[in-house]
Amino acid sequence: MPDKNFEQVVRFYELQSVPAGPSIWLPLVDVTLITQAGSRINLPLLFDTGASVTTLRAEFYSILGLQSWDQGQKVQTSTAGGVKDVYQYVATLEVFGKTITCPIQLNDQLPSNPLFVGLLGRDTVFNEFGFGFWENTHELYVTGNP
Amino acid sequence: MKYSIRSHQDIGEVRANLKAMLTSSKSPEETLEMLDKIGLEPFVTEQGGLLVKIWTIAAEDFVPREKTAIIRAKRATPGQSDDLDWLSKNLAVIRGQYAGEWIALYEGTVIDHAPALPELLDRISKFDRPLITFIPAEPVTWTFTYAR
Repeated sequence: MPDKNFEQVVRFYELQSVPAGPSIWLPLVDVTLITQAGSRINLPLLFDTGASVTTLRAEFYSILGLQSWDQGQKVQTSTAGGVKDVYQYVATLEVFGKTITCPIQLNDQLPSNPLFVGLLGRDTVFNEFGFGFWENTHELYVTGNP
Repeated sequence: MKYSIRSHQDIGEVRANLKAMLTSSKSPEETLEMLDKIGLEPFVTEQGGLLVKIWTIAAEDFVPREKTAIIRAKRATPGQSDDLDWLSKNLAVIRGQYAGEWIALYEGTVIDHAPALPELLDRISKFDRPLITFIPAEPVTWTFTYAR
């Protein structure tokens, strides 16, 4: 069994869907998106190994320098609600201390959640890292030297 | 550049600089802003006194080097705020105030809000790396697999 060392942690954050209701703990990553204008904004994304491509809410089209959310390459993706049309672009992100240019999909039917505006998916991004996940203790570790 | 306290000698240097700062002609507001910038975490007491937090080394090699990053990531770093953590802890209030709007957070404060994202982004362009999120008006419907 190889010995794995991790330098960073993905934190879990608490979300109460209703006041005094049960808590859900979400692994969230504060990702920096470099906009078309060169400025930087931070976006909370859900760490989602089930997402093949990093996905943002459709409203972010203007940050990518687009006139509308649906002018890119149309791609069909499977979601909990069935197969959806999404549109794919390329963007530059800063994730876990690395700058990565990767595919980004815009989706106008992502469920609204105050703690995240998209999903951190596998394509290109995950190639740069190794991950270790402990379900019971809500611990998710990251190494930039996989 | 923020102070990085490495030894007792450094603390002496910080104190000397602090004394010079307090005897200058700067206003209290200017002095507090300067102390914020150099990371000394000033605090004004009810009696009008000024407290500053000066960090010092209590133990060298306290944590094995390979565990340092993990432990640091789990704990808040002094002088730095985790906007996502702040949002999670204050979500009930935020949802009550900004339901149906985009908000921008910066150092634990909602710096602006707007119903449309482009409008918000136009107004906060002077901030470096604000955290942007949308506060839904409707109840959160959970469709993902992570849960307690």
